[in-house]
Amino acid sequence: MLEHQLIQATGFRNFGPEGARQGFAVRLRIPNYHGTRLSLLDGVDVTVDGEYFSYEKNRFAIRDEVYVLEELREETRARWGIFEKGTVLVDKPGGLCPGIHKVSVTARIRYSYFPPDLHVFTMHAERLATIVRP
Amino acid sequence: MPGSFKYGVSTYSYVDDYGSVMTLADAFDHIADTGATGIEILGEAQVEGYPEPGTAWLDEWFRLLDTYKLEPTNICSWVDMRLTLSHSLTVEEGAAELERDLHLAHRLGFKFLRPKFGVLSHDLIPEPNWEAYVERNLDLAHKYDIVICPEIHAPTPIKHSVVDGYINFIERTGTKNFGLMVDTGIFQDRPLKHWGSHQITEEMRKHMTFLNGIRVNPDEFLDIAQYVVFIQAKFHDIDDALEDQNIPWRPVISAIKRSGFSGYLSSEYEGLRSPWRAIDQVRRQHVLLRQLEREFDEGKLS
Repeated sequence: MLEHQLIQATGFRNFGPEGARQGFAVRLRIPNYHGTRLSLLDGVDVTVDGEYFSYEKNRFAIRDEVYVLEELREETRARWGIFEKGTVLVDKPGGLCPGIHKVSVTARIRYSYFPPDLHVFTMHAERLATIVRP
Repeated sequence: MPGSFKYGVSTYSYVDDYGSVMTLADAFDHIADTGATGIEILGEAQVEGYPEPGTAWLDEWFRLLDTYKLEPTNICSWVDMRLTLSHSLTVEEGAAELERDLHLAHRLGFKFLRPKFGVLSHDLIPEPNWEAYVERNLDLAHKYDIVICPEIHAPTPIKHSVVDGYINFIERTGTKNFGLMVDTGIFQDRPLKHWGSHQITEEMRKHMTFLNGIRVNPDEFLDIAQYVVFIQAKFHDIDDALEDQNIPWRPVISAIKRSGFSGYLSSEYEGLRSPWRAIDQVRRQHVLLRQLEREFDEGKLS
């Protein structure tokens, strides 16, 4: 099963070739109380140790697919179930140093049943999380 | 004398625990141990592989119903009007969403289906196409013996055009397969501290004043009771002295009892989401509600 918190400890890691990391990954459980079509997920902002990475640039990975924001917004068939993990891929050449980092995310979910000016609803979470491998 | 309430629990009560520290089987165990007879679920949550669950999941669902002697009550569904940023559902597409969930509800044994329609305003006026979505599915709902029941949920009070619109639809079509669900959050008369997973900020209070409670007079329930088919017993915090901090249950239960309602009260805990907290909160609510029903029956609750 997943960890209780939105931001998962496991899955917080660098990606790309060792020695030439392209960025880091943040694993999440779904930032919603029910499963959703991916088109209703409008990206995820990530901040690590005060450095901000915009939802417009970050990619989202689930199962074997990776989506940029424009693709996510149009994906009406694939869904994110509540038992599934999703991963935010953040470009940062060199990745993050091994050690403890302050990680915060703001996930944006579109709810049709919220008033139009609130229909992109944000779910915020933060925690300390640990990068193990450089 | 009017009949007794039926008591159920919605798995919505266990959001965040569910999938991290709680399985479907655990949820059944917690619900059955309250003495409840019904389980309410969210379709696109508890149903793995939604909207087409696999055989293994279906086998497990029916095994659990049998083991714990619970009946499926209501299944929650969403008709996501704003499908993408540039495309809103057509009538055909919206009706198909509802049809998909009616098939699923029937397959799993549910008798009520709550659709959540898109809204256009802060008082939750639904998109006008809701009526066509439902009307196109009334025959199917009739065939399956399922009542489609949108919820009356804060910040929409009882005396409101949203409720009038639903009642007009029932009157116009004469259908028995569409009714009202009342969420008891409309009776909330004191501010919330936590709203599900969200610690309430001043910014949220500004945009969502209903978090402070919209204080519907419980007696107004009597005005619409003939159309009410299901009650989601929304609550947020019951303290160690068994006092609910937000919902005034005495006048609420009194009004519901006086109306003669004998359907389900399905617990919907929506308070602080710290691990395992919901389990005992639901148990507390069942004690509280049953006590008040007993007091009413004994003539001690006017």
